[in-house]
Amino acid sequence: MSSEKSDSKKKGCASFLDEKSSRRAFLKGLSIAAAAGSAALTTGCIPPAAAMGSEELQLRWQEFFKKNYRLMTQEEKDATVARLERLAKLHNNLDVQVSSEPPLENVLYGYAFNITRCEGFMECVAACVKENNLDRKTHTQYIRIFEMEPGQLDPGTGDGQYFHEVPVENKFYMGTQCFHCENAPCTKACPTRATWREPDGIVVVDYDWCIGCRYCQAACPYYGRRFNWGQAEVPPEEVTTRQHYLGNRLRPKGKMEKCTFCIQRTRKGRLPACVEACPTGARVFGNLLDPESEIRWVLKNKKVFRWKEELGTDPKFWYFID
Amino acid sequence: MTKLYTICFLLLIMAFGFLTDAAASESSFVDEIKNTNERFDTRAVPLARQVTEESVLAMEEYQGGSFRVLARKKSIERYRCSRCHTGKPVTAAQGLELTHGNIALAHGTEGPGLTCIDCHHAQERDYLEDKKGRKIDFDHSYQLCGQCHFRQKRDWLGGAHGKRVSNWAGERVVYNCTSCHNPHSPRFAKRFPATYSVPLD
Repeated sequence: MSSEKSDSKKKGCASFLDEKSSRRAFLKGLSIAAAAGSAALTTGCIPPAAAMGSEELQLRWQEFFKKNYRLMTQEEKDATVARLERLAKLHNNLDVQVSSEPPLENVLYGYAFNITRCEGFMECVAACVKENNLDRKTHTQYIRIFEMEPGQLDPGTGDGQYFHEVPVENKFYMGTQCFHCENAPCTKACPTRATWREPDGIVVVDYDWCIGCRYCQAACPYYGRRFNWGQAEVPPEEVTTRQHYLGNRLRPKGKMEKCTFCIQRTRKGRLPACVEACPTGARVFGNLLDPESEIRWVLKNKKVFRWKEELGTDPKFWYFID
Repeated sequence: MTKLYTICFLLLIMAFGFLTDAAASESSFVDEIKNTNERFDTRAVPLARQVTEESVLAMEEYQGGSFRVLARKKSIERYRCSRCHTGKPVTAAQGLELTHGNIALAHGTEGPGLTCIDCHHAQERDYLEDKKGRKIDFDHSYQLCGQCHFRQKRDWLGGAHGKRVSNWAGERVVYNCTSCHNPHSPRFAKRFPATYSVPLD
């Protein structure tokens, strides 16, 4: 009985060796298995195949073999956008519109922050969290507001965790976020080229090419980048459905993310959510290449400075005083 | 002697190299921005959202062109004022307390403080009046506010004070003074922040 069993086992092994001995077929099988394995790793919690429809499996499979966003043709972008929209419907029952809107011609976005006017109400932070579908569980925020002592100009010296009635006498408030450097150190640190500077000056991340190594986070001198340790938890009724591929779409787990100047809004002429929410008008946003824009007026007529300018990163984010 | 000359020569070369380096690092993209003077047609940008808030054409210029400000009169509950304030004096008992009792006047508190007719037209109540006696429409209150707050008005005209409505592109529509500030008590009240932050990772 037992000898019979071992015999058949032997036969099985032999047949495997005999029949699939072609090197090419073996390597092919191996690479597919490895791809499936790493797909399971990167997407994190893949539900058991039985729970997932065959359509969802197929879409996920196709998604896994797509290119870097910068190498995609418009057709490929449209195809992945359609897949992402369908997946959001199948998996989360959400009707989202993912855009792949290209940058506008002759536009370079710039931002100015008035440290005289900001009173620390943090409406910008709340609006940003909502607009960009940030994780409510771990309290991810792209913007931080620091309560500063007079005479200090480095946000590192400020209190970033205040919670009391504001404004406090003899303090001022300073906001930080991704500064969208022209000479961005984070993009140079990325081993997979998953982050880059778009022609309109926005530094973006391709979430599907990010491997979550966090080199960029270490490279950023402004603490502008955030890492998501888990799938973002957003109440379904609060999800912003107008999304951008490089912006506020629901990110997979284990990816780097950051402020994108609300790419889904600004490429369509709108102000970023933080500017629109600011109750004191401390935030100025506009096109640096337009000599008649507000941001250019601020740069020309106000006392402006940039944080850690000596590093040569050339951030497109200025602080100014009245 | 030749040794000294060589050292001097070397120092000169080093100094020259240093200077050219400094000059090279000074021309940054900020200079490129400053030298970009081609007109950008901001109205040609396709907009996802048109400004739907009611606005009026401002009586001032922005960089040589026109712009719009948010209208005010629709949001004043009891406008038109002349429905009560006719030519005759209002004689209703406790009229002031019953109709305008909600107004807490806290404007100019660092000085003697302002009274109603410092801003409101004494005879024609549908209008404001500046110190030169000009009649000013409620929609164009920036003309009135700007006579004391001229620095803020200059910044507001340029774009460093206040903000645009919704869009960075398209026709320039900005918030009026009274869209953000309560004219009777213009300073923002102290309150708790909308949210709070936790430490990074």
